[in-house]
Amino acid sequence: MTTSKENLDETPFQTAGPFLHIGCMPNTIKIDKLYQNDLGETPFKNKNESELITIEGSVFDGNGVALDDVMLETWQCDEKGEYKEESGFARFIPNNLTKKFILKTIKPGSFKGFDGKIHSPHISLSISSRGLNMTLNTRIYFEGDELKNDPLLSIINNCNVNSLIAKKISKHSYLFDIFLQGEEETIFLDI
Amino acid sequence: MNVMSLIVRNYNKQPEVDFPDYKSSIFRAPKNKKISFPSSDTEILGPTFNKNIIGELDNNLTLNFAKNNNSPLGHKIIVYGTVSDQFSNPIEGALIEIWQANSAGKYLHDNDENPAPIDPNFAGCGRCLTSSSGYYEFLTIQPGPYPYPNRGIEWRPMHIHFSIFGKSFGQRLITQMYFEGDPLIKYCPMVNSISDGKAKKSLIGVLDTSRSNTQNLLAYKFNIVLRGIKQTYFENRREGL
Repeated sequence: MTTSKENLDETPFQTAGPFLHIGCMPNTIKIDKLYQNDLGETPFKNKNESELITIEGSVFDGNGVALDDVMLETWQCDEKGEYKEESGFARFIPNNLTKKFILKTIKPGSFKGFDGKIHSPHISLSISSRGLNMTLNTRIYFEGDELKNDPLLSIINNCNVNSLIAKKISKHSYLFDIFLQGEEETIFLDI
Repeated sequence: MNVMSLIVRNYNKQPEVDFPDYKSSIFRAPKNKKISFPSSDTEILGPTFNKNIIGELDNNLTLNFAKNNNSPLGHKIIVYGTVSDQFSNPIEGALIEIWQANSAGKYLHDNDENPAPIDPNFAGCGRCLTSSSGYYEFLTIQPGPYPYPNRGIEWRPMHIHFSIFGKSFGQRLITQMYFEGDPLIKYCPMVNSISDGKAKKSLIGVLDTSRSNTQNLLAYKFNIVLRGIKQTYFENRREGL
């Protein structure tokens, strides 16, 4: 970290394409002898079923088609609001029959950031696929939490702000659909 | 108080997401402007990956799927370079994952409809962590170009897909490396979704003749730059003073 002026340009993105499973999730496509586990199979190890929540949803394109060739990645803190470098990351794809993804994780806690502000519980989510020249970023917040003072949510002046809030279906499960286009287009973030 | 922030992304040097020449983007590219906001701990921090996940052959694609001492077809190449941030600081422990077609331009993937042969000794999948100087290296096979449906049938230039994790989730990068001299680069809509000439050129691996001549393979150098992180110090002053 430094305070001087940067001297290099960031390398540009390119699409992850339709075959990203080969490099990122080879065990899902029968290339199963290379890596023991795919990266991010479980965001937190050694958790009891009772501590976990599920977040499920689909990623819809502009035709309303639920996609199954997208890769999702999430990054979050633990239930105490602490980030731990070696846990909190998950990577997953929608099921090719149901077109739904399911993230099983712990519900993150709120935290006081280095900016001194309290941030409501959230999970950072990225989406990469064929047809996306850059990875998209958004956040998952949770219905029922205190949200109005969150530093990000409080600056969004957009009727689709609810697209960032997972709907509570039951005590431990949430619904979070993602719309790439259309009236319900999800809010994407310049992180 | 120390406030950390990622260097604001320069979208003039990034691809256009809504770029209809790349047909698949038409119904996938979001139409609304992204929301910018100050970096929080979530973007500044990020997952890091332990050395013990990396197997001995993970960065050697010529051996990691080869059976009974067979070799994949095609000529061997080394792809190497450094991962640094925008301040030229090397990034140690960056995870690089790559994937590519075989020498015939075919992916080992059920969705690849290109009628070219699979190579039973080549998966096209590799990964490594960068060293303390940010260095990485892969030994692989030259991927072939291949036809794909876009505006009719078009040809992709030879390329290798790269996925990179630095230290911050906000540094996450997914890109492709092309090969110096490939005549197909200039026709590729995915490359041309980047309008800035210098940015486009930064995706082209450069033939390293000195290294190529001393080993039984061709060497290409591809340096990767992830976003920098700025730290600004604010004195904590009481209001009204």
